[in-house]
Amino acid sequence: MKKLIALCLTLVMALTMTGAALAELDTNVKATLTFATFDNEAMLLFDELDIEGRFQELFPRVSIEIEEFKDDDEYFKQMKIRASANELPDVMYLQTRYFPVFKNYMVDLSALEATKNNVMAESYALDGVVLGIPEKRSEDYVFYWADMFEEAGVSVPKTWEELNTVLETLQNYYGAKDPNFAAIAVGVKDAWPVYPFMEYAPASFSGNGTYWDLMATQNEPFAEGTEIREAYTKVYNLFSKGVLGADPLGIGYDQALSLFLNKSACMMADNSMGLAKIKNSGVDLSNLKTFYMPYTTEDGSFNHIVQGDFFMGVTNTSENQELAKAFVEFFFSEAWYPDYISRLASDSTMVTVHKDKDPYMVFADQEQPELTVVGYVGGGDDYTAIVNESKWDYCKLGAEMLMEGFDLNAAFDKLNADWSAAREKLGMN
Amino acid sequence: MKSISQSRNLFILVSLVIPVILLFLFVVYPSADLIAMSLTNWDGVSPHREYIGVGNYVEMITNSPDLWLSLRNNLIYLLVHMVMMPLELAIAAMLNTKFRGSNFVKTIAFLPFIMNGVGMSYAFSYFFSPVNGGFNQILTGLGLSGWIQRWLSDPKVVNYVLASVSVWRFFGYHIVLFSTGLTSISTDVMEASHIDGANALQQLWYVQLPSMRLVFSFVLFDCIRGTLQCFDIPFIMTNGGPGYASSTFTLYTIDTAFKYNSFGMAATMAVAIMVIVVAVYGLQNLLLKTVVKE
Repeated sequence: MKKLIALCLTLVMALTMTGAALAELDTNVKATLTFATFDNEAMLLFDELDIEGRFQELFPRVSIEIEEFKDDDEYFKQMKIRASANELPDVMYLQTRYFPVFKNYMVDLSALEATKNNVMAESYALDGVVLGIPEKRSEDYVFYWADMFEEAGVSVPKTWEELNTVLETLQNYYGAKDPNFAAIAVGVKDAWPVYPFMEYAPASFSGNGTYWDLMATQNEPFAEGTEIREAYTKVYNLFSKGVLGADPLGIGYDQALSLFLNKSACMMADNSMGLAKIKNSGVDLSNLKTFYMPYTTEDGSFNHIVQGDFFMGVTNTSENQELAKAFVEFFFSEAWYPDYISRLASDSTMVTVHKDKDPYMVFADQEQPELTVVGYVGGGDDYTAIVNESKWDYCKLGAEMLMEGFDLNAAFDKLNADWSAAREKLGMN
Repeated sequence: MKSISQSRNLFILVSLVIPVILLFLFVVYPSADLIAMSLTNWDGVSPHREYIGVGNYVEMITNSPDLWLSLRNNLIYLLVHMVMMPLELAIAAMLNTKFRGSNFVKTIAFLPFIMNGVGMSYAFSYFFSPVNGGFNQILTGLGLSGWIQRWLSDPKVVNYVLASVSVWRFFGYHIVLFSTGLTSISTDVMEASHIDGANALQQLWYVQLPSMRLVFSFVLFDCIRGTLQCFDIPFIMTNGGPGYASSTFTLYTIDTAFKYNSFGMAATMAVAIMVIVVAVYGLQNLLLKTVVKE
């Protein structure tokens, strides 16, 4: 009986909340809303939790057509092509690094209830315009096998220097028995898996979530003494210790994950989507634990990157903009979001919806209860323009660091020269 | 009632007009649009395209070292394919004899060509993987573990590995083409040359090869076009890495368009590869004509 009452109350609340914002819309409107996603984990839930059926409780004659893409790379390529042909879906996901690319195609969502109830949406607004509402709070973790740590006699590292030592100890201990062993598995062949080091290290070590935008104001951002140079030097020194295994450039993400699952690797840096894959692998996870990557500074701060992810936005090429906004309101309302987010490993971004952390991720908080949260932003217009002009790719640089004969100082000099030339060409000097 | 002459004229008109319209719609217009795009700095998303003249062409020639590195990688593919061509021809000649299982061998050799390129590339990326990769296991099994290399990550090796996968894929296709060329030579000519005292090698050099000029021309063109536009094998097996070590011209063009939002420059590169293919094809025809005349 209690359950029934609770269900009725929830339904009434949901209908009231979404209904208030949508009062002016004709609920009998007949239309099809297109919604594009690259979230493999969520795609299954859209079917399982019947997103279309639930939305049809509000708009019975509206059908939802979900367009699925296998990863963000393919997704954003397709969206760029479709943007040029004015064929974007009604509702689409963005990431902060794509804000400058798609900002002219998105509707301002600042007036929505969903925006007001979202803890992050307004902080990511561009000139007061909310391009998308983050669906997830995203953080990265280092997943590790506690039994392997114990056997090798190491404990969770609390500083960057300790991380170096722990990785070396593990590599020496297990590498002697297994030539394929990697203390930390990184599928560098795909380049993108180095992002925890190459994308996050500058912002993490500097404690500046908008570090890319700071770089955009500098003529030689990789000069001696700059924080990015110091961060990448630390990463390079770590990579040079051979702790990524015998041939990290020869394996991709899937193979790295397989190494980790088979305990031919002790650690793997990943996020909630990685955890979902680990959980679905069927291996025994009783010794799986997490800690935060220790991006520690000389003053003792333990910086940790947090960002909004999967920003849901409405396109201005949509013929059903108001209906699409109604869908966004519905998505973040009690009618959908609590059930949905509770099934994902990511945290809630809504003040109206509390979600306990995934038990595997709680270990990280227990290991490091005191940390400095750094809100990460993917880089603004100027940064994106310079990157496009100079063809600067931090993940490719990370992969190059593992190549024989790589000269870090020469790489910094070239990056400075390219960056400076790009700024000059773009009239930023 | 229409006369036969009128119907014939109508048929001729329709037969000409429809292909011409289709040609304009799907070849001429996109090519013209591509060239027009190459003269702009369009980012691929913005509704506006700013005309910048030949700026992209100048930039591509003078300030794109990674692009030329990628083109050099394409040339490695071409070189490896060229080196394998005599072997393909020899196998085709062997299969063209009265060997009983020739059709079976041709079918087996042709199979890689009809296989899905993406799936095949995935399979080979695992085959050459440093962790439990099949190729390393074979070498170890044969007691040749000292030969093991970083097949997909050593810049000195990776392009040859990828080119060998490409050869594996097209080997059978070329054999079938050569075999068809050899079959098309009249038996009278072959018998006449035999009566004149030509041995098998002389028959191949003086009779069969000159008669197969068209087949050669096609296989060469296919190799040049295929290797210069090679995409799926490096994209799936190495993603062009490490760095740009195994990138190809097309891979770099796609990166330019989608990763760096420079559709104008990518269009310039697409025009350039078109020009290069046509130029190399022209040169190849010239060389073949000279050889045949001699």
